[in-house]
Amino acid sequence: MSARVDRIAKRGRVAALTLALLSAGASVPSGPELRTATATRILEEVRRPGAQVVVVNVWATWCLPCREEFPDLVRLQRAYAPRGLRLVLVSADFDDGREEQVRRYLAGQGVDFPSFLKEGDDMEFIEGLSATWSGALPATLVYDAQGRLRHFWEGAASYATMERRVLDVLERKGSQREAGS
Amino acid sequence: MTARVFTVSLATVLALAVAGSEIARADTLAIGASIPKASTKMKNVDGKEVSLADVAGQKGTLVIFTCNACPFAKAWQDRIVDLGNSFASRGVGVIAVNSNDPAIVPEDGYDLMKERAEKAKMGFPYVVDAGSEVALAFGATRTPEAFLFDATGQLVYHGTIDDNAKEPGSVTKTYLKDALTAVVEGKAVPLAETKAIGCGIKFKKA
Repeated sequence: MSARVDRIAKRGRVAALTLALLSAGASVPSGPELRTATATRILEEVRRPGAQVVVVNVWATWCLPCREEFPDLVRLQRAYAPRGLRLVLVSADFDDGREEQVRRYLAGQGVDFPSFLKEGDDMEFIEGLSATWSGALPATLVYDAQGRLRHFWEGAASYATMERRVLDVLERKGSQREAGS
Repeated sequence: MTARVFTVSLATVLALAVAGSEIARADTLAIGASIPKASTKMKNVDGKEVSLADVAGQKGTLVIFTCNACPFAKAWQDRIVDLGNSFASRGVGVIAVNSNDPAIVPEDGYDLMKERAEKAKMGFPYVVDAGSEVALAFGATRTPEAFLFDATGQLVYHGTIDDNAKEPGSVTKTYLKDALTAVVEGKAVPLAETKAIGCGIKFKKA
């Protein structure tokens, strides 16, 4: 009986806190902006000026290896954004009610930049990004500042592997500039 | 037909597959290749040991890498079973292979495979690829992923089931069904290679 009273009291405190936050103008994290995208749209995002290296990661909320590597992707973005890394996240979740689920997941991971929802035919999407991609998730593609694909892999990677490939692109660019100067 | 077969040692494939969680990609079976690991025995849901050679059909052989847990495998499951049951009675040997390591994906354990096969009314073997050895030999990377061999044992189709996993009513391209029909009729497969997004196979780690 006392446990039930405790649960009711706890729910009451949570409800009161929520009301207080809302009335004070605080908002529950709503997650990043989501845009639907074909492969063509993703490649436009890759080639949008301003990045020195672009990492595209195709993932899904139900995909275990995707979820395992996700915190490392976000950590990588935070660590290398000052050096020009742009992270392009593309959810391949089924399109029935995915927006809320994807947004909630991204908010929970601390993603605060626009993200994408895959749109259209699978074959066109896969071939549009990489002919060597089998379609397995997760898939990650690393592009240089000119939008050239430098690294591609399927399956989850460790933080060290991701970082090495990002640095490879950043440092190659640096050495090319030195060689050309 | 010219056979374009990549010959890769199992050690190389295994080394690629266990290097982190990345999926080995370079060695997918090519169109024209013969059935690899044909004599490897795998445990079926009925308790018997079955090989790909055991199930080979007079008209052709369909090997589908699938599993219990993947949302894409679940979405396509009824269509896979319908195609399998239908074409098994038309001279095609059919086998579903689960290469996921149940230590990584408990839902792909043997007992749950038995339940799934029974519920789905699979009229063909659903076997355990212990150690993911057969998937590695095929270069399979995802679920579901189909490999169809013709009457002479050459790979004539590799890819997905159709063009809409989630909505069977919205399918416009029945890739696997078209390939199966062609094989049964002794004709050329209209589209030999297709792709779809799917779950990566959870290979057993060394």
